[in-house]
Amino acid sequence: MDVVRTFHDLLYGLSVAASPENLLVAVVGLLLGTAIGVLPGLGGTNGVALLLPLTFHLKPTPAIILLASVYWGAIFGGAITSILFRIPGEPWSVATMFDGYPLAKQGKPGVALTAAFTSSFLGGLVAIVLFTFFAPPLAEVALKFGPPENFAVLLLAFATIAGLESGDPVKAVLMTFLGLLLATVGFDIVSGTPRMTFGSVALQSGVSFVIIAIGLFGIGEILLTVEEALRIQGLRARLSFRDVWETWKLFPRYFWTIVRGTLLGFWIGVLPGTGATPASFMSYGLARQFSPRGSKFGTGEVEGVVAPETAAHAAGIGALLPMVTLGIPGSPTAAVMLAGFFIWGLNPGPLLFQENREFVWGLVGSMYLTNVIGVLIVLTLVPAFAAIVRIPFAILAPLIAILCSIGAYAVNNQVLDLWIMLGSGLAGYFFKKLGYPLAPLVVALVLGDMTEQAFRQSLIMGQGSPAIFFTRPISAFFVLVALAVFLLPHVRNLVRRARRPAVPAEAPGAAGS
Amino acid sequence: MFAAGLVIAGVVFMREALQLPTGWTPAGPGPGFFPFWLAAGFTVSALAVFLRTWNSPQAQAEPFLPPGAAQRILVVFLPMVAVVALLRYLGIYLGGALYLVGYTRLVGRHPWPLVLAVGIGVPLALFLIFERWFLMPMPKGVVLEWILYGR
Repeated sequence: MDVVRTFHDLLYGLSVAASPENLLVAVVGLLLGTAIGVLPGLGGTNGVALLLPLTFHLKPTPAIILLASVYWGAIFGGAITSILFRIPGEPWSVATMFDGYPLAKQGKPGVALTAAFTSSFLGGLVAIVLFTFFAPPLAEVALKFGPPENFAVLLLAFATIAGLESGDPVKAVLMTFLGLLLATVGFDIVSGTPRMTFGSVALQSGVSFVIIAIGLFGIGEILLTVEEALRIQGLRARLSFRDVWETWKLFPRYFWTIVRGTLLGFWIGVLPGTGATPASFMSYGLARQFSPRGSKFGTGEVEGVVAPETAAHAAGIGALLPMVTLGIPGSPTAAVMLAGFFIWGLNPGPLLFQENREFVWGLVGSMYLTNVIGVLIVLTLVPAFAAIVRIPFAILAPLIAILCSIGAYAVNNQVLDLWIMLGSGLAGYFFKKLGYPLAPLVVALVLGDMTEQAFRQSLIMGQGSPAIFFTRPISAFFVLVALAVFLLPHVRNLVRRARRPAVPAEAPGAAGS
Repeated sequence: MFAAGLVIAGVVFMREALQLPTGWTPAGPGPGFFPFWLAAGFTVSALAVFLRTWNSPQAQAEPFLPPGAAQRILVVFLPMVAVVALLRYLGIYLGGALYLVGYTRLVGRHPWPLVLAVGIGVPLALFLIFERWFLMPMPKGVVLEWILYGR
C-alpha cells in the first residue's frame, strides 16, 4: 500500500471538493438530504432516486457529490424523527429510536440528538479514513465470499437481533420467521412463479419493506399514543450549547462502542447488498451485550444511541467502497447511485481510479468536507425541528398519518399499499401491546430475499447438503459465532436462575393472551 | 388468544407454501421450500407461545385496554380507513385536510382559526412539496382533479 501516494491523491481530492461549485452542491445536497431523512417514508434511496434525473445536467463529479451528500444528510436527518417522534425517518434509524426516544421522553432530547449527530459524525469520519487507506484489500476479502459465507453472515445478523431482544426469545424467533415469510411474497427469483400471494395479482410484486415499516412504526405508534389518552403532547426539544457540551463530555467513555460500531458498520457496508440498516441493528445488539449497562438498554441509554448511529454512517460510507472500486453496490442507495455512473458516461470498476482521478478522489474529498459541514448544519438547525415537536398531538396525529400515507403511496403508486400500511399499523399495535418485538420482523423482511437466495445457492453448491455451511472455514466460523451470539444471553440467564433457586417464577414480563 | 390466531395463520401460510414444490428440484430447492419451512418454524413458535400462556392463567387477569382506550383508538383509526376508502373521490390532499380539520376540532378542541389554518396550510404545503417540487404524483381524487383541471 503506497501511503504517500494515497495522501497525495487525498489532498488533490480535497481541493476538487472544495471548489465553489462542488461545495455549493454538497451543501444543497446535505440540506435536501436532511429534510428527506426527517420525512418518514421518504428515504435516502428515494431521495437519491428522485434527484438522479436532476444530475444529468451536471458534470460527473458534482453529480456524485450531490447524490452522496443527500445520502449523508438523510443519515443525519433520520435520527431527528426517530428521537423526537419515535417514527423512523429512515430504516437505519429504527435502532436509534430504541434509546433515543426514551431519552427524549425523559426530557433530554438535546442529549439524544447531540449523541446521535456526534456519533454519526465520528463513525463517518473514521469510516472515511478507512475508505481512503484500506479500500482495495478490504473489498478483495469480501469479494471472495460465496453464497455459504453470505448466508452465514446473514444468519449472524438475525442471531444478533433475536439475541438482543430482552423480552422473549420465542417471540423474537417467531417475528424473525414472520419477516422472512413476508419477504417471500411475490415472484420467486429462481423459478419465476408467484408465491404466497393467495391468488392476489397485486401481491405478486411483493410486500415492500418501507410500507410495512411505515405502518408498524408510524400508524402503530399513533394508536399506541392515543391509547394513553393524549398524555404525550409532543416532546419538548431544547438543544442548547450546554446540552452539546455535556453530551460531548460523556463521549470518551463510549470509546470502544464507537470503535466497534464503526468497524462493524464499515464492514457490513462493504458486504454487497447490506447497508446501514442491519449494521445499525447489529451494532446496537453488540453494544447491549458488551456494555456493563446493557440491561438498561431500551430505557434511554446514551450508549444505545451512539452504537447504531456510528455503525449506520460508517456502513453508508462502506457501501460506496465496492461501488467505486468494483462496480458492486454495497447498499440499495448505492445501487441507485451506480445507475447514475452509466448515464454520466463512466464505467465503474478499478480502472476508475486511473482514468477518472478527479471523480473518485473528488468524491472521497467531499466525504470529509460534507461530514464536517453536515454535523454543523444539523446541530444548528435542530431548533427549527424543535418547533415541530411543540405541535399539539391532536394536530400531529393526523399530520403523521397523512405523511405516512404519502410515503407509503410514493413507493409503488398503488392504493393497495395504503391498506397494507393500515393493516400493519393495526398489527404493529397488537404486537407491541403483547410483547412481540418488532425489530426482528423488520430486519428479516429487509434481508429476506438476500437470505433465501444465498441459502438456495449454497444448497445447490452443496448438492442439497447443509454441510456446506460447516465445511467452508469462513462460513463455519460465522455460523458458530451466530449460534453463540443467539444462545449466550439465554444460557447466561439459565445459569443465573439455577444459581438462585428461590427466585419467584417470572418477572413482570409482557402479558400475552 | 392472539397466539392462537398466529398458529392458525401459520397453518394457512404452510398450506399456501405447499401449493408449490417444496422438495428438491433440478434447479435446487423448489420455490416452496423456503416459505414452507419458514411457515413451519413460525407455527411452532406461535404454538410454543400459545401453550405457555395457556399454562399461566394469571396472564389473562389484567384488562387488555385501559378504560376508554378502545374508543380513542377507533376515533383515530376509523377515519384513516375512511380516507383510504374514499381515496378515489377525495384524494390524499382533500381527504387529509378533512381528517386534519375533523380531528383537531373534535378531538383536540382547538379554536377554529387554528383548525382552519392547519387544515388548509398543511395539505397545501404538502401539495407544493410533492406535486411541484419532487414531481411525485399523489392520488388527487375526482374532486381535486375537477377543481384543478376542470375534468
